[in-house]
Amino acid sequence: MPNTLAESTPTDSDDLLPVRMLNEFAYCPRLFHLMHVDGCWADNSYTEDGRRVHRRVDRLDHVLPEAGRTSPASADGSAAASAEADGEEPPTIARSVSLGSTQLGLTAKLDLVSTDGDEAVPVETKRGKVPDNPERSWEPERVQLMAQGLLLREAGYRSDHGFLYFAASRRRVEIRFTAELEARTLDLMQQARAQARSEKLPYPLVDSPKCRGCSLAGICLPDETLALRTVPADPVAPTVRRLYPTRDDAGPLYVQEQGAFVGTSKGTITIKKDGTVLAEARLKDVDHLVLCGRVQISTQTVHLLCEAGIPICHLSMGHWFYGFTAGFTLRNAYDRAAQFRVAADPVRCLSLARNIVTAKAANQRTLLQRNAEPRPGQALNGIAGLQEAIASASGVDILLGLEGTAARHYFGAFATMIRPADLAEAFAAEGRSRRPPPDPINALLSFGYALLSKECTVALAAVGLDPFWGFYHRPRHGRPALALDLMEEFRPLVVDSAVLSACNTAMVTRSDFTVGRSGCMLKPTARKAFIRAYEARLDQLATHPQLGYRVSWRVMIRLQARLLARWLRGDLPDYSGIRTR
Amino acid sequence: MSNRRRYLVSYDIADDRRRNDVFKLCRQEGDHTQYSVFVAEFDARELIAFQATIDTLIHDTEDQVLIADLGPATREAGQIIASLGRPYQPPIRALVV
Repeated sequence: MPNTLAESTPTDSDDLLPVRMLNEFAYCPRLFHLMHVDGCWADNSYTEDGRRVHRRVDRLDHVLPEAGRTSPASADGSAAASAEADGEEPPTIARSVSLGSTQLGLTAKLDLVSTDGDEAVPVETKRGKVPDNPERSWEPERVQLMAQGLLLREAGYRSDHGFLYFAASRRRVEIRFTAELEARTLDLMQQARAQARSEKLPYPLVDSPKCRGCSLAGICLPDETLALRTVPADPVAPTVRRLYPTRDDAGPLYVQEQGAFVGTSKGTITIKKDGTVLAEARLKDVDHLVLCGRVQISTQTVHLLCEAGIPICHLSMGHWFYGFTAGFTLRNAYDRAAQFRVAADPVRCLSLARNIVTAKAANQRTLLQRNAEPRPGQALNGIAGLQEAIASASGVDILLGLEGTAARHYFGAFATMIRPADLAEAFAAEGRSRRPPPDPINALLSFGYALLSKECTVALAAVGLDPFWGFYHRPRHGRPALALDLMEEFRPLVVDSAVLSACNTAMVTRSDFTVGRSGCMLKPTARKAFIRAYEARLDQLATHPQLGYRVSWRVMIRLQARLLARWLRGDLPDYSGIRTR
Repeated sequence: MSNRRRYLVSYDIADDRRRNDVFKLCRQEGDHTQYSVFVAEFDARELIAFQATIDTLIHDTEDQVLIADLGPATREAGQIIASLGRPYQPPIRALVV
């Protein structure tokens, strides 16, 4: 435990630790790492409110007067006596003061400093109420203030106390800079610096009330991480808290009207055709934009969406996913570095591939079990019989074979889940067939899988992984191999389910398709109807088998993408595909 | 969806330039329903951000902005807002165009 400044000096003098981050580290080391090292950020109502409270403070930018320039304490604290020195009256209250010290390895922007002769008193504003504890303050805030005091001492002032101003209570609490607080602060500074140099994510807080108000809870996944680290699962463990919403408010926006033009007008997205406005959308309502076929978008709109963190997916009118455009929202490459490391490790690749195929086959079987009429005993037993071989497959090529066998059983019985006889018969004639799709069901499946690959690509990019470098699927012809890996477990439960739903409820019928040289194609009406069915399915809630809570399928995909990233980082021991009962 | 609530936002701004700024912000965030009346959906964070921005635009004694909570956004707007005369058409959020 260092108790001199020399022991806490950083090796890299450019690497100044912001004092605000020290507060974060004292609050939760994992939060510190996610913010300061991984560069993650999310807002919630508390952080937004904190920003509002500090807005008044940050508007000004004062320079701290030199220590001792002002006259000794007088009744009104004025500095008239020093007017003789330079003719200008230095302020005794300075707001928004930037200080830095390579000696300390710290940098800070102090809300407010009150100087009087050679004494400086920092005042830090907090948005909340005075804490209901004996100290009337929390340690991270005391440490933050102490660090500000250390910086003021470096600048030549005497500083032996500071104040925390709690905006909601409109009260100040004095914090004395004791030797204990100083030692604790220096210790935390050294720990924080060590953590900043590490690539490994710290342990989450265990069942802490702090997690509820933390804006990064959906990125950190504290309870989820703790639950998944315990292998096998602890049956008497406390419930995993779902600290983020079951559904997002923002959703996708699909533009497939051929000849349409996507532009912006006064901060909103407009879709026009031949000068007429077809639709408008607010940025806060759009999660990602999907352009299908001959749809134009202005450069200004691309810039606006990049800045807003809204990816643009480019699909052909058929079902080819060309790629996507996204802004620079992620500020680290640790997850991607871990991804490439693991991709070069055949043992780990195989382990992931086994889990993926296991989940996919199990979900195919579950869908048959729930929906097939009459019960396809042979297919059900056939798939069940493969699970042992899948779990112990010694190579990826063996897995591909087993996956193919499971698919033959599954698609062989698929028609028994389709109610309209004409669609069922057309499918049963050739089974699953792709290039080109010969019948409506095949056309829908191909379209659905393209949409799902788009979904998974967006989810992977959002969590910092490269969608194009996979573990089971090899990158080929520019296809997003990792997206293909991630989507395997979701194919039956999201796409196949949506296809069945759309057909069995007559959202699409035989008349919504044309059969021509390039096989069976969806008419625009069918595409619209199926997209609605697919999105409706993504919006339905499902229970995560290991975590026990319910979220929408869309959120589930993003959650699995994040858990995959954590497994790659070594934060979790295993990646398990979703299997529903 | 789940987390947002619906709000009626109505303003009375004395100065033309300030009114124009508030109008532009409201149009970006909500639907222009009547002359200086908007209907917008915000979650807790978005509401604070919206109020914070309005605070920077208006004069704190000459202007007034009212924000009335109309309940969860999941309820159909037509069930919350009744209209006499011209019918009220709640905006349809586009999914596929």
